[in-house]
Amino acid sequence: DVVSFGQEVQVVDPEVRAHVYSLVTALGGFNGENADCYVLGDDALACLRDIKRWLKLYDEKINRMDVARCLGEANLVNGDLLPILSNWWTSGQNNKHMSRIALACLELLVPLTWPAEFHKDMTVNHHRHTPYIQQAQVRYKRGLLSYGGSNLLRTVIRIALPSMAVPRSERTTRDEGILKLMLYLFRNISIISQSARLAAEGDEEETSRSVTINAFAEQDVFALLLTMCSNVGDDFSQQDMALLEILFHLVKGVNVEKLFMDDVQRTAKRTDELKDLLSKESSLKREYAKNAPTRHGRFGTMIWVKRDDAKMSTVSGQDVLKDEQTTLLKMDQSKKWNKPQPRRRQEELSTNNSFDTPTHLSSTATKNLRSFVEEFLDSGFNPLFTHVRKAIEREAERVTDINSRQFFYTVSWFLEAERVRRTYQKYTHEQSKGKAKEMEPDSFALVAGVLNQETFVFLNRAMQYGLDHKDWEDINAEMRCFTQILLTVQEMSKSPLEEDQEIAENIQNRIFYEETTHDRVLALVRGYKDQGFGYLDACTELSHVFLRMLERYSKENIDLQIRSRRKARRKKTAEKNATTNGEEEDPEEQASEDEEIEDAVKVAKERTFDFKRFSAKFCTQKSVDTFFAFTKFYKELDSEQLKRAHRYFYRIAFKQEMSVLLFRVDIINLFYKMIKGPGGLDPSKPVFKEWEELVRQIIRRLVKKIEQRPALITELLFSKINATAFYLEYGHEKQTLTSE
Amino acid sequence: DNPELGLGLDEEVKVTKKRQPIAKLDEGRLLSQNGIPRLRRTAKSKLKLKGKGHEFSDAARILNFYQLWLDDLFPRAKFADGLAMIEKLGHSKRLQTMRREWIDEEKTNFSK
Repeated sequence: DVVSFGQEVQVVDPEVRAHVYSLVTALGGFNGENADCYVLGDDALACLRDIKRWLKLYDEKINRMDVARCLGEANLVNGDLLPILSNWWTSGQNNKHMSRIALACLELLVPLTWPAEFHKDMTVNHHRHTPYIQQAQVRYKRGLLSYGGSNLLRTVIRIALPSMAVPRSERTTRDEGILKLMLYLFRNISIISQSARLAAEGDEEETSRSVTINAFAEQDVFALLLTMCSNVGDDFSQQDMALLEILFHLVKGVNVEKLFMDDVQRTAKRTDELKDLLSKESSLKREYAKNAPTRHGRFGTMIWVKRDDAKMSTVSGQDVLKDEQTTLLKMDQSKKWNKPQPRRRQEELSTNNSFDTPTHLSSTATKNLRSFVEEFLDSGFNPLFTHVRKAIEREAERVTDINSRQFFYTVSWFLEAERVRRTYQKYTHEQSKGKAKEMEPDSFALVAGVLNQETFVFLNRAMQYGLDHKDWEDINAEMRCFTQILLTVQEMSKSPLEEDQEIAENIQNRIFYEETTHDRVLALVRGYKDQGFGYLDACTELSHVFLRMLERYSKENIDLQIRSRRKARRKKTAEKNATTNGEEEDPEEQASEDEEIEDAVKVAKERTFDFKRFSAKFCTQKSVDTFFAFTKFYKELDSEQLKRAHRYFYRIAFKQEMSVLLFRVDIINLFYKMIKGPGGLDPSKPVFKEWEELVRQIIRRLVKKIEQRPALITELLFSKINATAFYLEYGHEKQTLTSE
Repeated sequence: DNPELGLGLDEEVKVTKKRQPIAKLDEGRLLSQNGIPRLRRTAKSKLKLKGKGHEFSDAARILNFYQLWLDDLFPRAKFADGLAMIEKLGHSKRLQTMRREWIDEEKTNFSK
């Protein structure tokens, strides 16, 4: 209802509010005489249980958030629950009654800190309360992390310790429940962060990731996590998903490279970054100064641009006197109309799962997280991830939809961490050469839990499922995981241990054996439309890594066999098929085959792998468009990403001899702008040289081609059709009868 | 004398002025004399490329040539926008056949 300004809006039923407030008041308070001591009310335990009942029977049952809102306004968490817990901690935790009260507090803390997300089926009440509750949760988190110097996280662990000590076979459901409560509280703490949509209160630093990590390290939460992760198969099988979630929310967005640098390197890196930023700024200024007017703003210069048919255009401003390029640029810029943009896809609703946003850690937090990560890799990686994978595969009851995405992202993060740790170890070893003993080569057994056939099958199936259902966020995580697996295997094949090499060989064989995998990578690259930069980054990286590894591997193993599945028409055409199957099918036949998909069967067949033919599949308009879309972000890309795009275009133009695909005015326009500006690449970067050379070569070819085939003048405007592209490149028709 | 004869003579006639149709960059415009035919006509005389050693100035010449052509054809759109619109039009049936024709024309010219 519309209420005029100044009138009080009742967002919550007043009676509900009165009930809840009276319960909070009856819980206890600070005594007048002894102001810093929290005194429990006579019936505190019953009050706590009543509050819990309100949350359950009012909020949950009729799907509102009123009670949670009232509790936030009454300051229950910071005013009552936290003081009670800290009292219990300091009084020695032996009193049975007090222990029960502490547990009751924990039971309230978990639902109150449960992440309040925007989701599809929200009621009016949800919309009303969610922003307030998000803000309140940040307050709760701040209280939990820094309540008066007491160790509340340790207190929470203490509550669950008795249940942890019981062997799993003897644990009651109540014990399991308590463990769950503890882990979910930690998970909630790691999720809660200042919502970007709401105004910050100025001290978001107190609830940042760094502070969370430091608190986890100081109060032994990390130790607890390590214990549970390494025993996940034996003692803590029900807790695997909660552990996975905590890990996911701790590491998402953290830059692995920076994590493993030592202080000297990190400061060097920071100075580099600062230097980069400063030089970027000064080059911006230089760019401006180049074109800035040399006289005052009303100097009033105007020039004519003579055009065909005695036409003239006028452009004003002194900067246009300089050269033709700036004049034309200005002519273009002064146009008012913009092409209407297609509407963006709806933004992902869940804010807690985005892992594309980078997170920065303070140096203490980096140190803490690194030691945790190292210990986790040493002890917890294999047991946890094997267990989680099995649970997801058999669709255990505790598994939610989000878990598989979290699994793949976390696996990819830790695989990268393991690789970076190895290079870091090598580096420190070389630094202390002579002093330390010869370094013993390490085997990759620490991460073997995700390098087995079962994981590949799981990953493949998940990727196919995501592709079919257009779950782009899932696919993003899966592509990262696949890329990291490939990179790890590559590292393994370089290992000095013979056993590692053998295993790597085996794995590569298995990965490259299935043609469906190859086709899927292709489909992922071609399938980019408007999935956002995260997808673009992941799919270009995957195709880059995949192609290069496959290229090398097929060179080393010339007799590489792959299993290809072809569609073959049933019945009458079956015989015909048997004769033509070995030959290359032309695209039209392929298309007509696709139409008859209903009466098609799949025929599995082994054949030798031809890398040239496979990489030709990457050189199509669709994949060029994807990499072109990626390159458009060139100002934000780092040198590794720019190199990736460079290699791809190089492959197109010179390895596959399909430079015609790049001969499009918009692509040439982008390339020209990247090198010659305004707003081009930084010329002092080493990547710039490579790009300049590439663009120079491409343009040289273009000029030559225009002279050879004047028809290119019109074709330069369009994406090429397959049939004509071949002619434009080679000057003759494609031979249709090619034999393998 | 019966006003409710239903002829509606007494009702006021509303005159709504039709909006001037907005110029569009479509197949017709692209294939008109000012469009691609002109591009083909003028390319020989206007576009003088220097070749090896002048790559970037050549690229600038090519880009400028297209920009001025596009500005004549459809002054409303910025260069990049116009290019994107034309590229999209290139997928249509009519343009595909036209493009094929142009290329075939060149092929026969060559064989002569």
